[in-house]
Amino acid sequence: MPYPIRRLGESLITLFLVSVVVFAGVRALPGDTATALAGEEPTPEAIAQIRESYGLDDNIVVQYLRYVRHAATGDLGVSSRTGLPVLDSVMEALPVTLELSALALLLAVVVGVGAGVVAAVRRGRPEEWLVNAVALLGLSVPAFWLGIVLVLAFAIAVPVFAASGFVPFGVDPMENLRHMVLPVIVLGSGLAAVVMRQTRAAMLGSLSADYVRTARAKGLSRRQVIMGHALRNSLVTVVTVLGLQLGHLISGAVVTEQIFVLPGFGKLTIDAVFSRDYAMVQGVVLFTSTAYILVNLLVDLAYSVIDPRIRLGGAQ
Amino acid sequence: MSAAATALPAAEERARAPLAPLSRLRLLTRNKLALTGAVAAAILVLIAVCAPLIAPYDPARPDFAAALQEPGWAHWLGTDDLGRDQLSRVVYGVRASLQIGLLAVALAFAAGVPLGLIAGYYGRFADSVVSRLTDTLLAFPFLVLAVGLATILGPSLLNATIAVGVSQIPAVIRITRAETLRLKHLDYVAAAVVGGGGDGTVLFRHILPGALSALTVQATVGIPTAIIGEALLSFLGLGVQPPSPSLGVMLSSAQAYIAAAPWMAVFPGLAIIAATLAFNLLGDGLRDILDPQGDSR
Amino acid sequence: MRQRTSGPSDRPPPTRHRPRAAALAAQVLCVLVAGATAGCASLASPTAEVGADRMTDPRPARDGGTLTIALKSDPDKLDPTLASTAVGRTVFTAMCEKLYDVDAENRIVPQLAAAPPTTGDGGRTVTIKLRRGVRFADGTRMDAKAVKTSLDRHRTLTGSVRASELKPLTSVQAVGDDTVRLRLAKPYVPLLALLADRAGMVMSPTALKRYGKGFASHPTCVGPFRYAERVVGDRIVLDKDPNYYDADAVHLRRVIYRTIIDGNVRLANLQSGDIQVGDQMDPVQVGRALTEPGLQLFHSPSLGYYGLTLNIGNTKGAGAPPGRIDTPIARDVRVREAFDLSLDRDLINTIVFQGRYRPTCGPLPSGTPYATGSRCPARDLAKAKRLLRAAKVTTPVRVRLQISTTPEDNRLGQVIQAMAKEAGFAVSLTPTEFATGLEHSRAGDFQAATTNWSGRLDPAGNIDVFAGTGGAQNYGGLSDPAIDRLIAEGGATAGKPARKKIYARLVERVRAAHTVLYLIQPTNYVSVTEKVAGLKVFGDGLIRVKDAGYVKGGS
Repeated sequence: MPYPIRRLGESLITLFLVSVVVFAGVRALPGDTATALAGEEPTPEAIAQIRESYGLDDNIVVQYLRYVRHAATGDLGVSSRTGLPVLDSVMEALPVTLELSALALLLAVVVGVGAGVVAAVRRGRPEEWLVNAVALLGLSVPAFWLGIVLVLAFAIAVPVFAASGFVPFGVDPMENLRHMVLPVIVLGSGLAAVVMRQTRAAMLGSLSADYVRTARAKGLSRRQVIMGHALRNSLVTVVTVLGLQLGHLISGAVVTEQIFVLPGFGKLTIDAVFSRDYAMVQGVVLFTSTAYILVNLLVDLAYSVIDPRIRLGGAQ
Repeated sequence: MSAAATALPAAEERARAPLAPLSRLRLLTRNKLALTGAVAAAILVLIAVCAPLIAPYDPARPDFAAALQEPGWAHWLGTDDLGRDQLSRVVYGVRASLQIGLLAVALAFAAGVPLGLIAGYYGRFADSVVSRLTDTLLAFPFLVLAVGLATILGPSLLNATIAVGVSQIPAVIRITRAETLRLKHLDYVAAAVVGGGGDGTVLFRHILPGALSALTVQATVGIPTAIIGEALLSFLGLGVQPPSPSLGVMLSSAQAYIAAAPWMAVFPGLAIIAATLAFNLLGDGLRDILDPQGDSR
Repeated sequence: MRQRTSGPSDRPPPTRHRPRAAALAAQVLCVLVAGATAGCASLASPTAEVGADRMTDPRPARDGGTLTIALKSDPDKLDPTLASTAVGRTVFTAMCEKLYDVDAENRIVPQLAAAPPTTGDGGRTVTIKLRRGVRFADGTRMDAKAVKTSLDRHRTLTGSVRASELKPLTSVQAVGDDTVRLRLAKPYVPLLALLADRAGMVMSPTALKRYGKGFASHPTCVGPFRYAERVVGDRIVLDKDPNYYDADAVHLRRVIYRTIIDGNVRLANLQSGDIQVGDQMDPVQVGRALTEPGLQLFHSPSLGYYGLTLNIGNTKGAGAPPGRIDTPIARDVRVREAFDLSLDRDLINTIVFQGRYRPTCGPLPSGTPYATGSRCPARDLAKAKRLLRAAKVTTPVRVRLQISTTPEDNRLGQVIQAMAKEAGFAVSLTPTEFATGLEHSRAGDFQAATTNWSGRLDPAGNIDVFAGTGGAQNYGGLSDPAIDRLIAEGGATAGKPARKKIYARLVERVRAAHTVLYLIQPTNYVSVTEKVAGLKVFGDGLIRVKDAGYVKGGS
């Protein structure tokens, strides 16, 4: 079987497994939609009625097939908590999470790659030590703690940035950025540290590789060698790692959105888990997982084009 | 050419004859990074083990008359909202965090290493099954997975450990599998297979020791991740059972007082940073020693 | 989908409080840098007194402007039939008026009804005259038929959480255009209070026909404001409704409800001017909100309580006949009384709630018309120990206490744990996330659990379902024929003095059972910028925005 098709098949299997796990998983949580919904008026009759109206008494396989059938037509169901269509809420949350993730990614790549190159080129000098130390710190500070401290410092003590909330870019670009600065720093800093370390490691490898020595022997300038050869080759590794980090990015976004009350996927998921909003949990996890699987598929396929050995290695 | 020619036997040698513990230790002491990390980690472990001797007060015993005292001579790091000594709670919190970090990683290894070995060594069907399992776990946002598990299991130190440990399994599987794939094509392992060594012999005599360096590095990376994971779960109220202190629980209760009593958030936060920093340093150092080419993971 | 919800023109200029901010920054820096040294000056926030209850703001307001209100949690469905959260009620006050409402003294007054109801047939028929000339937000006329449609929907819609409240109702009849007659199986006095809550909200029959179960995405009622849009987890936007019968009295152009969970962040947003009203301020922030220039604080005693439920007979689920539980605390009322006596309510208030709430020991807290005003017994360790000896239990008596995962409940649990320990109880705490906790409570899978009831206007709403045999929230499994009899009497007795006497006896009986240990009566704290006038916050804790607006002469 050709590699791309096989890889696609694998992705579809993974997606299927994810959908099964999340479907069974939310139902394994103690208490169900009805318990959470009845809230302050939990009469047995009300609970029985709610269970019935959400089809929770049916066999779980029947429920799953029904869900898949509806999902295939783009109907992700109605949120049991808000009574609004899941797809609408997901679509409203999508731009928030996308903007947050994209800006954090941008921050991570710009800062991470830059610092990584510096660390590799200035190996053994104070610059490397400094960059390493900052990166280690970036890896070690819990995002939610950083979030609290930043809010305290830059939103409460010296209120230059917003402490919470979201203003769509289309409505007011400046306000949008004022609200996004702190979340992006919180989400991007850990990732920047990872990217920096990967870049540094890959650069060190590249710089000692034969072709770089050859290039330098041929009389190319140090700058040309670093930027043109070593960095370009290192970026392949960095891109792969970024693909793998995407999952962490989504998890991180969940935490960050929770701290800064951004109405993105993260808040949507956690609220949904706690209110046993099955349709919402399923909808959001389906979206994030598909995104993750898709990105990894693309990364793998791109990689196989760059490096044919992967196709061979994978096919044996 | 020459670089490649010298690199290969070196790798083989490394895999065939793992360094004696003593010489590893010597390498460790020569690498400043690793040494710093090792010393810091050792100090933390010492604090954790000797917590009862170090802590000046009972970390779980409230003293309502002394609530929310700022750092001072009686309480070096101040007191919390129930009048408990912050220093004592930080010390015991470090203990809980390390416990969770180590146990979670042990759990992830106990499940992940065998699966990774099987997937890498036997390939084909076994590999497909394990790989799909790994992908499925990876495709879940960590927080959803951990929150879901913690909710199902209920709050306790052990359950938080399980929730955090499970979310680390895919990474361990991936690394073990990759190492197994790499090692099984090396001449000496191939020779052992041809020479009639049983699967068990090959796996445990040749492949596992060869993968040890990568796994050691993964373990040192996993511990800080687990510590932060626990803090996050506790922060959401799903971690350690009160009144036991954990750094995450302390941060959680500090949040309401962030403006009135900032010391409640600052010190546990610094302790988490110290703990994760120590293990990250150690991991970096070990990586430099065990894998000088710069591992891409 | 998203609309322009706030622009520079309709938002007041942000107020910045540099000196305070700088002081805070210095504090943080001081702690960060100085660490354990004793170099930091006094950091504790000054304890300010809140003074007498403050529920209204009579200053005149000008027309126009947008008011942004930060809620503590995200409301559930905006459908009066299906909604079950307290924050949802706050949003409903601005867009879904009810047949009756509550005033500052917790008295029931007509809202969409034209007058107090008249009863007949020994209390079995209730006749309600409606206000005339009222239109829904979609222009539909509000008449007797519309009221009947709404009440019938409350009673019969699948999944309706109103159905159980309206159980005593047997039929609803539209008599002419402006009169509704309700028939009851038996006299039921608490009905009036229910009609002053979600069960009394009238929904547009046109919208109900058009959207059916999807009404939550197009809620259409009678109110000063009408639904514009909702972004889940972020905001609910309401615009002034020109169809409203009293539209001339409404000043604001738009009201936005945002969800900001963290109290500090709510306060920070108030300080920066991003929001103008902070709902449900936590006790920790009240002190700061009081000393903050430019902010005013509304506060009224809540109708609810914090307490502990002890499981004495719930083995097959709340509502099912009670079974036998063989633990000391379930078996022997003396053990429960000892537990109660080990608790120091004043200290709980001080430590857990910064002294901002008040101790209570019954289901009908002070400030409500039926409050009994009985004094709480003081902590008495000696008596508690005597009772335990008399009950011949081996100490320490082990009690597993289920608490919620919030930091506040964690504090409450740990304080209770420490206090009960001194009397001979070994309390272990199980923090349990919201839905799991509900499930455990319902199923009887707990020994003791913290309870937090938002409170109801009529005394029946704070007692019946909690203490009556088979009550939906009788999680402790209490079953006492005398209590059941008093509950029935209280529901059927119309005269207030007679009713008050019944509830006084009922409360004593409920307290004596020690199944629910009532601990604290919360205060509703709402922090508002001084630029806004005309807000009202009554005992139900809901923010009434009808008369609100920006002060005259302000920018």
